[in-house]
Amino acid sequence: MTYDIWDGDDDGEAGRLVPLYILVNGRTTPRNTNLDLATQVIALPADTSRLEQEYREIMNRCSGWISIAEIGAYLHRPLTITKVMVDVLLEQGFLGIGAPAQRKIADRRLLETVLAGLERL
Amino acid sequence: MDRKSVKVVVAGGFGTGKTTLVGSVSEIPPLTTEEVLTQASVGVDDTTGVEGKTSTTVALDFGRITITSDVVLYLFGTPGQDRFWFIWDELAQGAVGAIVLVDTRRLGTSFPAIDYFERRGIPFVAAVNRFFGECLYSEEEIRTALKLDPNVPLLWCDARDRSSSKKALIELVRHAMARLPVST
Ligand SMILES: Nc1nc2c(ncn2[C@@H]2O[C@H](COP(=O)(O)OP(=O)(O)OP(=O)(O)O)[C@@H](O)[C@H]2O)c(=O)[nH]1
Ligand SMILES: [Mg+2]
Repeated sequence: MTYDIWDGDDDGEAGRLVPLYILVNGRTTPRNTNLDLATQVIALPADTSRLEQEYREIMNRCSGWISIAEIGAYLHRPLTITKVMVDVLLEQGFLGIGAPAQRKIADRRLLETVLAGLERL
Repeated sequence: MDRKSVKVVVAGGFGTGKTTLVGSVSEIPPLTTEEVLTQASVGVDDTTGVEGKTSTTVALDFGRITITSDVVLYLFGTPGQDRFWFIWDELAQGAVGAIVLVDTRRLGTSFPAIDYFERRGIPFVAAVNRFFGECLYSEEEIRTALKLDPNVPLLWCDARDRSSSKKALIELVRHAMARLPVST
């Protein structure tokens, strides 16, 4: 997935993207290609005081397990940006990561758990 | 760390009830997140009307169901416009499967979704959303019109009704399990 997320001269939403885009050093795709919207992350004990505000906002959302999609929704940030920023935090050891949604490794037992859970609803 | 995410895609044509279904089973009110697209990621023949517009925002609705202390099911509704295929790829990545909502008054609007999951071998069920309780066609007629493979489950639902949406989800998970290779 390589596409440009920022084209520089749109107004509104995209205008707001400029600083975020710079924050991720122009990266447009996460290094960890396993990251998907449903992947959950959690804050690890670390000193976040030197992180930039935008990164700290993410850390503040991650005191419990939360998905990348939820972080994007709560912080009103486009998904691609959120993904890359989460990736940066993962790389630097600020966040821990759960198992990504993966059909291929989704074992029968996991689906049985899901089925039982749905039936209990 | 053993925190697991399970993903289900809720697809179907424009206005078939995707957001309604996500909302009726989710434990949180559906959240909306945005993806920003540039023209390069939008279908080339679909750029009419957006000339001069270099980026488009597409909104995605999603919800969640906590299954156990370490498993969370996420439900993602596809954007109403079919042309944002790359978003579909992102949503389908690793998904257990999809619920394709069908409105019998506009069956055709769900063809692209059916086609999408069929081609990629992603398990899906077709759920006929009974708007206003009407049921104009028999199951056979709908199957034929949608060119549904005989082993794709077809069910009726009311996307506004939690237990109905839950049944569609259960049906999908069962269907996905039935298609897993036999293992130990
Ligand atoms: N009567 C009836 N109305 C429904 C049902 N499901 C959805 N609706 C209504 O149909 C309209 C469209 O539903 P949405 O859930 O927004 O559909 P959608 O597929 O998310 O639409 P887009 O995202 O725009 O493609 C809303 O006004 C819903 O209230 C249903 O089962 N019965
Ligand atoms: Mg919708």
